[in-house]
Amino acid sequence: MPSRRFSRPRAAVVVTAAVALLLAACSPGGGTPGEPSGEPVEGGTLTYASGDAEPSCLDPHVGGNYPQALIATQYLESLVSLDESGEVIPWLATEWQEGDDGLSWEFTLREDVQFTDGTPFDAEAVAANIAHVQDPATASSTGYLALAKIENVVAVEDHLVRLELSMPDSALLESLSQIWVAMESPKALERSQEENCAAPVGTGPFVVDEWERQDSVTLVRNDDYTSPPADVPADAGTGLPYLDTIVWRFIPDSASRYAALQSGEAQVIDNAQPDTIRSAESDEAIQELDAPRPGAANRIELNSGKAPFDDERVREAFVRSVNVDEGIESLFFGTAERSYSPLSSVEPLGLSLPELFTVDTDAAAALLDEAGWTERDADGYRVKDGKRLTLDFPVSTNQSIPAEQSLFEQIQADAKEAGFEVRLHPLDLSSWYGALAENDYDLVSAPYTKVGPDVLRVLYHSDSIEPAPSGYFANLAQVDDPALDDLLTRASATSDPDARQSLYEQAQRIILEGYHVLPLYDQQNHFLHSSTVQGLRAMPTVSTPTFAEAWLAS
Amino acid sequence: MTLPVPTTGARRRPAPGNRRWLLLRAGGVVFVLWAAATITFFALRLVPGDPAEAILGGPGSQAGPEALDQVRREYGLDQPLVVQYLTYLGRLATGDLGQSYSLHKPVATAIGEQFGATLALALCSLALAWALACALAAWSVRGGRIAWAIGSGLELVAAAVPHFWLATVLILFFSITLGILPPVSVPGPLGIVLPALTLAIPLAGFLGQVMRESLLTAMESPFVTTARARGESEARIFWRHTLRHAAIPAVGLSGWAFGSLISGAVVVESVFARQGLGRSLLSAVQLRDVTLVTGIVLVVALAYTVMTLVTDLADRAIDPRVRAVPQ
Repeated sequence: MPSRRFSRPRAAVVVTAAVALLLAACSPGGGTPGEPSGEPVEGGTLTYASGDAEPSCLDPHVGGNYPQALIATQYLESLVSLDESGEVIPWLATEWQEGDDGLSWEFTLREDVQFTDGTPFDAEAVAANIAHVQDPATASSTGYLALAKIENVVAVEDHLVRLELSMPDSALLESLSQIWVAMESPKALERSQEENCAAPVGTGPFVVDEWERQDSVTLVRNDDYTSPPADVPADAGTGLPYLDTIVWRFIPDSASRYAALQSGEAQVIDNAQPDTIRSAESDEAIQELDAPRPGAANRIELNSGKAPFDDERVREAFVRSVNVDEGIESLFFGTAERSYSPLSSVEPLGLSLPELFTVDTDAAAALLDEAGWTERDADGYRVKDGKRLTLDFPVSTNQSIPAEQSLFEQIQADAKEAGFEVRLHPLDLSSWYGALAENDYDLVSAPYTKVGPDVLRVLYHSDSIEPAPSGYFANLAQVDDPALDDLLTRASATSDPDARQSLYEQAQRIILEGYHVLPLYDQQNHFLHSSTVQGLRAMPTVSTPTFAEAWLAS
Repeated sequence: MTLPVPTTGARRRPAPGNRRWLLLRAGGVVFVLWAAATITFFALRLVPGDPAEAILGGPGSQAGPEALDQVRREYGLDQPLVVQYLTYLGRLATGDLGQSYSLHKPVATAIGEQFGATLALALCSLALAWALACALAAWSVRGGRIAWAIGSGLELVAAAVPHFWLATVLILFFSITLGILPPVSVPGPLGIVLPALTLAIPLAGFLGQVMRESLLTAMESPFVTTARARGESEARIFWRHTLRHAAIPAVGLSGWAFGSLISGAVVVESVFARQGLGRSLLSAVQLRDVTLVTGIVLVVALAYTVMTLVTDLADRAIDPRVRAVPQ
């Protein structure tokens, strides 16, 4: 690693850290067991550099995307969380009970928690938050879908709340663990949207202090923090968080972001690209946090709603003729692992069927012959009834990283050998959604983050082919299979773990064996951080890093 | 460097009286603003994407039909386009730039937060570009044929390098290898050095090329011979006489250069993670935030016309021939 003589802010950090160390020496330290580098250091300022678009609103109820989730994880908390194995664990709710009919759930709430504006956290606050997410004026998208089945909220007692549902929802707890429906101060929610977007008020370890647009958000320590989730060791509780300040910067250019990390301007960066991760491996001062996102794996959807992919043989022929493994290996430098499941590898109920995806060009050719694509034209593409075997592939340049776009080009080249003409259309986000709404695609890759296997219902139930007024629909593979619909509906209504697992397994089998999707890899979520940053972990919910237990080693 | 280069010759005709000249120019400013507002308004309506949808959470929003209808009514999007245009012009005339839906705040506030950073960057870059161009000219004009060739070659290369490439090279050299300048913007004067340099180098190359030709003419002018005969030093002759002549066309181009700096700011502000209007413009276009885009275009157009006015005034100050009133 080259020298880093530009060290003015670094020196400031060292001084602060030294002072903090003295302070820490005077107070009994609350170290988390198993930490590699000794006692946590209190105090200090950490700079986080995000490559995601700057959120237009810091309240993740509004809209609801991943950049909002990343930053809101530092100041908002949810009713429940997940542990490492994916089990639901207490957070702001200590226990819960599902009614016998599955239509009502009672949550007992923590009694010792206050929002950072002094408003107590209670049943009324939960009701106000759910009402806020469900209010059309909030324009919530992700949170709105997560809470769609909640019909009524009753504050039974001060710290006991009952959610009444329109139909049973086995995904309710997983939905509630998501930061997009986190709890905010009801008093703060009464402010105008402009004010609430600028500084939402939660119960989390940090507080939004200042938002300098297109530069940074400054988060300061919540001195009265009392409410970490249940997987944080109890003896760590009182001293959290260790950091005084987090400066949350927006650095869109990936090379600049890495340079900021190398020069010490930032201590943590997100959206680390494969080549950067590879080059950081040889740098002892930099470490990696790999936190694949939950929900769906990144995959290419094959549009079975129209020709030529309405013929399963053509879909299988396409899947069998492209060598995805080789492309991932050469373009992602070993930073991404091939997936054979519609679900992310962090989903415990994911089903992997690698044998379906072995490359077999002879079998592909036979399938195409069988499907009637027997001729080849002058350019070598397959032809049937005078029509070329053409596949339109709109690519979102906002969502697909450069390595992924290159992978699509390799797939295009492989498919050409087999006689498919893949036409890649790189588009900005608005035009990309436009192409999907017009049904102007045969192949598409769209990420979808949601906690739990219920994401399969969102993505592959035939109801999701019906577009919203904006033209948006989630079932981009346009799978329309009554048997699959039935499995997904039953799975989302049953809370018996074994029955749920079996139903989701059958559903995934139908999706994979019907060649509706070509799984690629988990939704990539790589963070690089300076070795001085200790105690950093990703939330097992939506894989956003939390700084609640993080500290800066001197 | 995307803007067409205006010719400077037209301004050489004898100028009318100062007051009339200013009035004419002010009328020109109003016309340019009106044209910018009109073109932006209609261009953004031609781009695919529903503004109501943009208001309700951007592309891919899952807003319901009632919400969309309500927003259309609220923002007057259900009115005929001509009515929308006239309402919009009427609001502009009273100085109301409207509400940015992607930022959840008034456009004027959003621009106010970012304008200072871009202005500072543009002015620093302009000053730096002038300094670089003059220094190179001073050295190459007195260093003989080889220096002249090197200078002219450097200018050609500098004028041609793209901003994003230059930014990466500067970051690698100054931040990673030498470690003396921060790779991203930080508060204080250190943070502006690399962004300003990135914008200044291509511009310096361009200004240098413009100056070079007139420098050559001026060097061979009788007044230089006279000055030499008076025994003035070569340095004094360059700084006092020839540079003044050579600078006239380049000063005239500074207004245009200012406009090109703002378009370069889109790239530079993103790479160096600086605040500024360029970055706002980029995200506003991506999010189809029509009011914010038009607001920024108007402010940039205003700054550009004001800057052109200032350079014209400077031109008149440097070159007495311009303000001479015909007999």
